[in-house]
Amino acid sequence: MAEHEHAESGGESRLQKTRRAFVRLMLSAVGAAYAGLIAYPIYRFLGAPARRAEGMAAVTQVTVQDGERLRANEAKMFRFGTRPAMLIHHADNTWVAFDAVCTHLGCTVQFQADKQRIHCACHGGTYDMHTGRNIGGPPPKPLKAYKVEMKDGQVVVSRA
Amino acid sequence: MNYPTWNFPHIGSGWVIGIIAIVHVLISHFAIGGGFYLPMAERKALREKRDDWMQVLHGHAKFFLILTAVFGAMTGIGIWFAISLANPEGTSTLIHNFVFAWAIEWVFFLVEVTAAAVYYYTWGRIPDKLHLQVGWLYAFSAWVSLFVINGILTFMLTPGPAWLQVAGTGREATAFWPAFFNPTFWPSLFLRTLVCISLAGIWALVTASRIDAFAQPKLKEEILRWSAKWLIPAYVLMPVFFAWYLYLVPGEQRTLLALGVSTIGQGTFTQVTRTVLVTIMTSATIAVIVYFLAWRNPRDFSFSHACATLFLALAATASTEQAREMLRKPYVVGGYLYSNGVRISERDKFNQEGYLAHSPWVLEAEQAAWSAAPQDTPEKKAEQIIRGELMMRGQCIACHTRDGYRSLKRLLKERDREAIDNMLKMLHEMPKDSPYRAFMPPLVGTESERAALGDYLEVMRGKPELPSGTTAAGAAPGSAAQTPTAPPTPSGGAAPAPAAPAPAQPAEPAGGAAAVPGKQ
Amino acid sequence: MAKWLSRAPRLAAVGAYRWVDERLGLGEVLGYARQKSVPLHKHSYWYYWGGVSLFFFLVQGVSGVLLLVYYRPGAEAYNSVREITFDLDFGWLIRSTHSWSSNLMILSVFIHMFSVFFMKAYRKPREFGWWSGLALLGLTLFLGFSGYLLPMDDLAYFATKVGLEIPRKLPVIGPAVVDMLRGGAEVSEVTIQRFFALHVVVLPFFFIFILGFHLWLVQRHGNAVPPSEEAVPESERHSIPFFPNFFAKDLAMWLIALNVLAILAALFPWQLGPQADTLTPAPAGIHPEWYFMSQFEVLKLFGRWFPGAAGEILGILFFTVGGLLWALIPLYDKSSQRAMRARTTTWLGYIVLVGLIGLTILGYFDLD
Repeated sequence: MAEHEHAESGGESRLQKTRRAFVRLMLSAVGAAYAGLIAYPIYRFLGAPARRAEGMAAVTQVTVQDGERLRANEAKMFRFGTRPAMLIHHADNTWVAFDAVCTHLGCTVQFQADKQRIHCACHGGTYDMHTGRNIGGPPPKPLKAYKVEMKDGQVVVSRA
Repeated sequence: MNYPTWNFPHIGSGWVIGIIAIVHVLISHFAIGGGFYLPMAERKALREKRDDWMQVLHGHAKFFLILTAVFGAMTGIGIWFAISLANPEGTSTLIHNFVFAWAIEWVFFLVEVTAAAVYYYTWGRIPDKLHLQVGWLYAFSAWVSLFVINGILTFMLTPGPAWLQVAGTGREATAFWPAFFNPTFWPSLFLRTLVCISLAGIWALVTASRIDAFAQPKLKEEILRWSAKWLIPAYVLMPVFFAWYLYLVPGEQRTLLALGVSTIGQGTFTQVTRTVLVTIMTSATIAVIVYFLAWRNPRDFSFSHACATLFLALAATASTEQAREMLRKPYVVGGYLYSNGVRISERDKFNQEGYLAHSPWVLEAEQAAWSAAPQDTPEKKAEQIIRGELMMRGQCIACHTRDGYRSLKRLLKERDREAIDNMLKMLHEMPKDSPYRAFMPPLVGTESERAALGDYLEVMRGKPELPSGTTAAGAAPGSAAQTPTAPPTPSGGAAPAPAAPAPAQPAEPAGGAAAVPGKQ
Repeated sequence: MAKWLSRAPRLAAVGAYRWVDERLGLGEVLGYARQKSVPLHKHSYWYYWGGVSLFFFLVQGVSGVLLLVYYRPGAEAYNSVREITFDLDFGWLIRSTHSWSSNLMILSVFIHMFSVFFMKAYRKPREFGWWSGLALLGLTLFLGFSGYLLPMDDLAYFATKVGLEIPRKLPVIGPAVVDMLRGGAEVSEVTIQRFFALHVVVLPFFFIFILGFHLWLVQRHGNAVPPSEEAVPESERHSIPFFPNFFAKDLAMWLIALNVLAILAALFPWQLGPQADTLTPAPAGIHPEWYFMSQFEVLKLFGRWFPGAAGEILGILFFTVGGLLWALIPLYDKSSQRAMRARTTTWLGYIVLVGLIGLTILGYFDLD
């Protein structure tokens, strides 16, 4: 629209070209910003389960370092893939392992030997220390349990 | 803790500064950009002998004078009042280092205000050339005052190694220049200058939009287009300078941006990221509206469009300024002074000797009586609560309120005493993997002081309520409270904190950290 | 070669346009849009609000479908919304957008209605525009009400419970209607299921049809001019072409609306309360959303003034008659019909507007 003001001399038309190219560049940048702001969240939103499944599939088994040295009635934190997990050696000499992310708002939970339960400090959620079942507070779901095996004297935790 | 604390209910002292500062930023940047806009437009009008332009510019100059010299100056001084009340320790640090810089700034500010008045009141009364010179004098002195203030503002984010070395030694003045020309000084100066130029254009669009398109179509078109061009430099150069700026911001602070992308959610964890999103969107929209309406269809560009553009500019400016403030967390002066007025160097001292022990607001006799009082009596309990409140006022109230913005009541609503103690213990130790580390100062004080804070918070919070928090309106989103996402406790140091009446048990779980005594 | 390459996308676009144009006659539509004009006067600003409402409706459609991908009605409702809000990437943003946009949509529909009223745009031949608009307003409110329950947090639960008290007081049919909506004596999973059906299928279905009719009427009759402007001599009136001028301004308005929405949704994320527990007593001061507050307050006031069933019936009667009078205004506002500036009608509009706002504010102060 601005172009018609100018006379049709050679120099002017070059200016017009540059200007048009500049405007096009700027508009594409603005368009890209918009597309990014709207499309990217939607892309992430729709792709979330797929990404999660990928992350889950990546690791199926973890050997807990020094896990075998864990004394009875104690717990140890370790990483299962990218997620924090918890290995508990119970007093009756059974071993269990749970995903240590609270199912309420995603805080890391802790084992409380004195109260014989798993506890989340953020909002006071509690879980059964043997099964991971949610027994108190806001958590909506039980903690996910892993399978624990002793192989060659080492503690191996795998996806149940 | 040398100064009184300022308890501003509901919105918190931070927002008092915030509201004043956002208005001030929008006006003061216009004051500088407009300082260049007016003489440049006047020169063009004089050269082309355009009386209609001069008339519009005269009107714009009047509006400019009132807005900048009244509201700009008032909010500027308002910031002074607000920061010295909200964070006296930080203000004191700034004054002790930059009193000379401030003196320079005030001189230029005086020149600026005088020149603005002279410029407007001598319109058409003195020779054109002289009048233009007054305009340029204004522009120059306004920009110099930005130059000086920018040194102080950027100092707070990145004081630079030279200054940090002498900080707290009493010889800070020896590092005046490196502190002033600190790492982020130049990119920030360029960014702010660009903002000034574009705001000058946007405010001029407001004036020009009021020209009647039917009476003076050509005039409206010309002025709108000429003013719209003022936005170009910002859009071309801003990304470059912004990248440079971010590059110079300390990595620890930059993680706040990443934290917002990786963390799902709502609360403080993602505030920087969310404000950046708003900035990008509003900036893109300003470009679209200015190009397609002010530039392509200037006759249809109405006053409401101009106001909407201004509103978007306000939103963009406010969110970038807030993002910048958030970026500085957990410090007021990066790497030296925490946002609650505690110096890093004092952390150990307070932990060993006590935070309240060093407070001038606690009499020595009181302090002695506290520690001597017998355990588990109602008197002791009452004392604990008083001490806890002092702790809260000293260390929390700089950012939190009891029941409004970042409400402690809301954040603690669903936590029992044990959870409160766990939280305080984590804030005290502030382990490396704590997400709170990025934006909250560590809690300082002795064990008994922290227990007192727990006592106070438990009482202040009232009964923990799990099923409902529903006293407030459904329409107000902030009120249907939920705690911000996922503050994971340190995965290694899970500790049993015995609930108040139970005796401490020596059980040693997972990580093996010491138990927090519920009460002394 | 390079030159040809750089021009290729443009040539392709032109080619594609021609191909479609030959078959669908796009040129005619565009030509029609260019000929069409929009009056320009000091009240023109109010013309945008219908478009803004439409924009928010479109946002509701898109964000609603996105939420639908993960939402599970019934017993799992709360849990699925919790997942959307806390577990899924940007789920909080999409839910926040949907919630904020619903409120903004209701607000802009109200503004649109009052601007139509004050411009007297309901006069002949635009009566059907007014009525279809009122039907859309009703559907919008119903959409808001049904959507509010779906997360099933405690606010949603209690606000729905209280909100259903309003229709329950309708004489004779009230209890039956409410029982049918609720699917039982209490708000439960059954209620969620049927509110869900209403919210995503039944109401949008009717909405789209009536909206189509409403938009067709706007095309047919063009923009109405207020009586004050009709008094201006023809030669002094101004107008701008619909395309591209008004269209560009309309788009600018949509963009601004989008930005306001983005600011609200990003900076003030919509919260999710704790799961509704039917056994806990209703917390003090529970009330419906702001757009039902005035009716709620009227019922409350009448209940206080006239004890017993009389108060409820009078309250219901009050806004039924009021609503009816409001809807039938095109039939009895004869002075406006004659292109006179009908002061009485304008005053009536002010009274209704101030009354609605006043009752709403009063409602918030009158919580127990």
